[in-house]
Amino acid sequence: MSKSDIHKNNFKSVFYPKSIAIIGANNVEGTVPYDIVKSILISNYKGIIYPVSPKETSILNIKAYKYVIDIELPVDLAIVVFPSSVCNLVLEQLGQKGIKAAIIISAGFKEVGSVGLEREKQIKEIADKYGISFIGPNCLGVINTDPKVNLNASFARKMPSEGNIGFLSQSGALCTAVLDYAQSKNIGFSKFVSFGNKADISEIDLLYYLADDPKTKVILLYLEEISDGKALMDCAKDIISKTGKPILAIKAGRTNEGAAAAASHTGSLAGSDEICNAAFEQAGIIRCNDILEMFDTAIAFAYQPIPKNNRVSIITNAGGPGVLTTDALIKDGLKLAKFSEETTAIFSKVLPKTANIKNPVDVIGDAKADRYNLVVTESLKDDNVDAVFVILTPQSMTEIEIIAQEIVDVSKNNSKPIYTSFMGATDVAAGIRILEKNNIPNYTLPESMSKSFTSVFNFGQNLNRNGAVYNLDKTQNNVEMAKSILSEALEEKKSYLTEDKTNQLLSCYNLPVLESFVASSAEEAVSFAEKIGFPIVLKIVSDDIVHKFDVNGIVLDIQSREEVIQGYSSIIENVMQLAPEAKIKGILVRKMIPKGEEVILGIKRDNSFGPVIMYGLGGVFVEVFRDVSFRVAPLSLHDIKSMILNTKSSKLLFGARGKNLRDVESLYYCLSKLSELAIDLPQIKELDINPLILLDINKGCYIADAKIML
Amino acid sequence: METTEVRKRVKDSIAKVLKIDQESISNDANFIFDLGADSLQSVLLVAAFEEEFDIELDENKALNVQTVSDAVDFIQEYLN
Repeated sequence: MSKSDIHKNNFKSVFYPKSIAIIGANNVEGTVPYDIVKSILISNYKGIIYPVSPKETSILNIKAYKYVIDIELPVDLAIVVFPSSVCNLVLEQLGQKGIKAAIIISAGFKEVGSVGLEREKQIKEIADKYGISFIGPNCLGVINTDPKVNLNASFARKMPSEGNIGFLSQSGALCTAVLDYAQSKNIGFSKFVSFGNKADISEIDLLYYLADDPKTKVILLYLEEISDGKALMDCAKDIISKTGKPILAIKAGRTNEGAAAAASHTGSLAGSDEICNAAFEQAGIIRCNDILEMFDTAIAFAYQPIPKNNRVSIITNAGGPGVLTTDALIKDGLKLAKFSEETTAIFSKVLPKTANIKNPVDVIGDAKADRYNLVVTESLKDDNVDAVFVILTPQSMTEIEIIAQEIVDVSKNNSKPIYTSFMGATDVAAGIRILEKNNIPNYTLPESMSKSFTSVFNFGQNLNRNGAVYNLDKTQNNVEMAKSILSEALEEKKSYLTEDKTNQLLSCYNLPVLESFVASSAEEAVSFAEKIGFPIVLKIVSDDIVHKFDVNGIVLDIQSREEVIQGYSSIIENVMQLAPEAKIKGILVRKMIPKGEEVILGIKRDNSFGPVIMYGLGGVFVEVFRDVSFRVAPLSLHDIKSMILNTKSSKLLFGARGKNLRDVESLYYCLSKLSELAIDLPQIKELDINPLILLDINKGCYIADAKIML
Repeated sequence: METTEVRKRVKDSIAKVLKIDQESISNDANFIFDLGADSLQSVLLVAAFEEEFDIELDENKALNVQTVSDAVDFIQEYLN
């Protein structure tokens, strides 16, 4: 049985234990061991608890045992609060007792250095020996609000209310802050897990558990370190496609150390945070910047249905906020709904003459609950409306609480989402409480409301997208030849391939390289040029030169034999002057590519996510404009299209500003081939194709320059 | 000093610091897991051993000593 299957079997004991042993408990108030026992008691836990303490006979009036093996009856779950130095002894006893699930709260493991890492390996080995699954170590614990169990196996101060949001966090301290914040917003949880060092049960195991948990509708994830990015992506894709449950994540640590030392454009542009962003987007994970954004989005998913489309009706009692909301909505890519004639006729008949009956509907400042009720109800009935945003500012005659209750009542009889923005703080507080307690998501700012709705809408639109890998005919690739080129270079201890070898390798994947020859004299260069046909390009070939432009080692657009002789001499002179140490192998002669759009394609290997493909605006200024996007290989056609559309310059390919329509189909082909190459050839550390010249529609594209780093 | 003498005096020190009966301390007892010492008491144990045997222990090494038998061996090394 695999470890994940063992965890699956043991999860019932983690979240729905009939009996719990708290190992290392004590009678010292204000300590973690004491507070854990107290939390379990206060939460009205439905099972039996057994404190285990070497020196206490009872804790909080419950009989204590010296060792867990002394407990006569079976135990489902062990909560370990002993210091890390003796956790190995505890795990051995759990194994002897036949306990299969544990939460190791204790700190002092890999987070403190090599001694702790050794202890962590030791407890993991013992757990594997006995088939034990454990959460932690170095964590806050686990909470399950299901009334069947009422479990607060943590040292958080509060037990949250029951809800449909599952929360998983690598940070324990953050959990306590989140619980406090959530309580102030009447947000409930289904399961709440601090998983700490994830030495045994990982975030992936927990994600799958929450995916199967009928009490959980939305999954929130806080991560500080992604150990296996590819596995996380596969897990998220699997969960989203099978269950439709959204996964919202915060990934802390946005620094890009390491990117600066990269040798290629791709390596330099693909920082860890950019790759994480791309990977999350590709997997369907909604990445949030902070806790507020995460909960704003979470309540939208948790409380309201996913809209069928993005036509929104805005209802407001003040003009300014209506305009703000409209601005936010348009910026987010949503649409103002156009009311049907029937709806417009009703609004015209019942609203005051000073009211604006078009979207955004201004019911004006003196609007009471009945006016709000009517406009919300009629908007929801309109087939041209997919969602309703209700905005309220607290004016002297505004019936805040009654309006809130009317919105709640109306929402119960319809299947379209309703979002509210009761703007302000003190005056609207009572109304907001009514909304929150009845699962109407409320936002202080209309901009946050629009952003949250957009996340839900986009998620719904992507649910049914085709994620199949863009499979071209793989048999056309000469993988063996490509591998032998790389082996040869690696045997010679080269850190990159020369241009001729690079072109040979790219040809193995049918990428559009042009035929080229290396000349060792001006006369030979002339002969090659006449064979290829003018215009041609001359380029220096040397193992010691990576950036040919820097040493004036390229001459473009050569039209005659005289220019070939002149170009050949000037390149040799330039290189001898600017790179006197470089060993010159010859001069490459190649056909000059016609003008087109210059784009860049690249590969970089990420420690966590594996091979990453880059696309963007190419040319010598690629690192200045940084108009690039990333996806993790293998690429689906959706990935390829979306990574192109993610760049600002993508419009240039589709005929913007009088430009010709470019051959984007050939670009799709090159990106998919690059994805195959990246997977087949792990020896390649980084690769740049810059520029790839994209010609007009049906005319293809050509690689003008490429670099492969090993 | 004989091992039995060192062991007896180690157990005396442990019993005083942890406020437990000396008879309940087995030769292989772990200070934390079997005798319930907390982190402060672990530090006090080192101090008690130093006082009992009139020696100065390397604190980092001493804190890694977890059982009665380890403590006896560790102290004997110093005494010899």
